[in-house]
Amino acid sequence: MRNLVLFILKNIHWLLFSLLAFCSFYLLIYNNEFQRSKYLSAFQEMAGKVYMVSNSVESYMNLKTINSDLMQRIAVLEHEVRDYKKEVETLSELVYPMDARKHESVYLNAFDFIQAQVVNNQISRMGNNYITLNKGALAGLKEDMGVLSSNGIVGVVVNVSPHFARVIPILNPKYQPSCKIKGTDYFGTLSWDGKDSRYISLKEVPQHADFNIGDTIITSGFSTIFPEGVLVGTVEDTFKKKGDNYNSLKIRLFTNFSALSEVLIVTNAAKEEQLNIEKGENDE
Amino acid sequence: MAIWQFLLFILLVLLQVWLFNNIHVFGVATSFVYLDFTLRLPVKMNRNIVLVLSALMGLVIDLFGSTLGLNMSVMVIVGFLRFYLLKLFASRDIYEDYVPSFQTLANFMFVRYVGTMTLIHVVILHLIESFTLFDPLRLILRILGSFILTVLLICAIESINVKGFKE
Repeated sequence: MRNLVLFILKNIHWLLFSLLAFCSFYLLIYNNEFQRSKYLSAFQEMAGKVYMVSNSVESYMNLKTINSDLMQRIAVLEHEVRDYKKEVETLSELVYPMDARKHESVYLNAFDFIQAQVVNNQISRMGNNYITLNKGALAGLKEDMGVLSSNGIVGVVVNVSPHFARVIPILNPKYQPSCKIKGTDYFGTLSWDGKDSRYISLKEVPQHADFNIGDTIITSGFSTIFPEGVLVGTVEDTFKKKGDNYNSLKIRLFTNFSALSEVLIVTNAAKEEQLNIEKGENDE
Repeated sequence: MAIWQFLLFILLVLLQVWLFNNIHVFGVATSFVYLDFTLRLPVKMNRNIVLVLSALMGLVIDLFGSTLGLNMSVMVIVGFLRFYLLKLFASRDIYEDYVPSFQTLANFMFVRYVGTMTLIHVVILHLIESFTLFDPLRLILRILGSFILTVLLICAIESINVKGFKE
């Protein structure tokens, strides 16, 4: 008995090693669940504060690119506004029953936006990119809300603490939203290959889908996270694996992930309703 | 001693989180300077403590980088193997405790010690990471790039130490 105790004491480092190795592999495998867990949000508050220090320096250095991005976006939007104004004028001349328009607006107003700033953004390691925002539960953020930049799609909120939120960007293979080619109903799944933060691939597009290089890719609106029509990028190239029945498209992203600082969080007031009715259908 | 280690711990975490996690030379080489903490623990320190401290270092880096378990598992393995590697590289006839450095290990031995530890660290880390996305050529490039960059940086920090803290 004494020998056994001595033996264990002598080799306790093996025991400790196994224990620690087990813990770390457990964390590694259940990574996703832990990301969503509440245990992390306490640490996230602290990490968020640490990252704010480095961000305050970085945001100054990015100002120039962001400004030019915003100016371009404003220009595009102004054009659109002018077009819409014209359209409204022509439409208002036609007499529409007012009730019909009111019903439509219930859906349109379902999506609202909250502004936030990026405090930490590491587009680096393959497969493990997350973004931290400076607003959290107190500002009304919840899990599974969509995140946009001034140019296009960014990602989805996965975890919120009182003052910070963690976002899983589309540049993370764990998140693969469905998107479609603008003007058609052909859709596919976005997924990142871990190489270049400017490009992403749209996979599982049907072979018979017709599109051209330069076509715009938008979100499909199948989920409650994003409204339909959020800009993603333009088609740059197309490739197909041998024996695969689907096309893959190389997409140039509108969002510049390496200089991301201001984002909008999409809140969907009609989300509960949509989820409930979808759930109801499944139960039957 | 303990305070010195503690400060080094915090300094390395901040350096890694603020600076080196964001630097990717040619998109392939990332440096893992935080490994320097384990390298620089005293030679005679209890191996169980070395193991726990290394694991803690990995965990903190993981929490900041949202890579739960990744750095921790690597640091557990490296912290465990350090004992055996020191047997190889550190001469055993010195009885007093010392911190591995250019001075205490003959120059060449220190670089070999750092090199071996870094190689183990980088290879395991990238192998675990490649479970999510596998691309053999890139994997080799990343391992090589990260290895060279990390060894260079750790030696650079060491040479600052030699000049700055030599009384």
